[in-house]
Amino acid sequence: MSFCLETYLQQSDDYKVLAKNSGVKECYKIIETESDELIHVNPGDKILGARLIGLPPIPVGINEAEGTILITYTKPCHGTAAIELPVEKEELISIRKMDIGA
Amino acid sequence: MKAMILLGCPEAPAQTPLAVYASYKLNQMGYETTIVSNPAAGKLLDVCDPEHVYIKNREDIDRTLEDLEEGDYDLLLGLVHKDAAATFFVTYYHILQTKAIALIFSRDGAEVEEFVDMVASSTDAEIVAAKAYHNPTPIRVKLDKALKNFEIEE
Repeated sequence: MSFCLETYLQQSDDYKVLAKNSGVKECYKIIETESDELIHVNPGDKILGARLIGLPPIPVGINEAEGTILITYTKPCHGTAAIELPVEKEELISIRKMDIGA
Repeated sequence: MKAMILLGCPEAPAQTPLAVYASYKLNQMGYETTIVSNPAAGKLLDVCDPEHVYIKNREDIDRTLEDLEEGDYDLLLGLVHKDAAATFFVTYYHILQTKAIALIFSRDGAEVEEFVDMVASSTDAEIVAAKAYHNPTPIRVKLDKALKNFEIEE
């Protein structure tokens, strides 16, 4: 699946911003609090085709009932945001397989 | 041998002169040097060096990240003066798996300590840190010393 997270965030309105212009560790805490299930990945690993930027291990939240995942999104001048965005059920299977078990 | 200089947000006044200086030093050491930054930081560099005397190659931070692979560069030098810059540096480091130097600076000593901790706990990069904001000299002096450990062997 080819996916540009930046384009998605600009062109869609079905995601939630849980924090923005924040520090990466604060966003990790929000993801840990707001998620029913957590996996962890390494910096640079691709989720939905987009590389995750952060400090290892990077938490990725899964809320299966809502059909969403929670990830961080970092830009050099805007800090880090925690966002919750919808994903297909099949994508959740491949996302869970990326867990490094941290 | 290829070196990457990774920049953060250009709002810290010391960043642009340090980037030009680091590119000059690495070029002199024999590295093929590329500066990777967001568009705003890149435009500052273009104005500083219109004839590309010191900055030979420049790339976009997001596009480079997308296609980056282990071994693409032999040295990573990151300028870290914000939380986001630390996370980008750590991410580039983990993908490249190469020798690295983190130039960490801020006007706030507590921030310098925080960024040092973020980088040191997640990488084996050599850390060059100083309290600096407008004046690049404290960090430049330390960079000169650190670069002696990264000479290209004949």
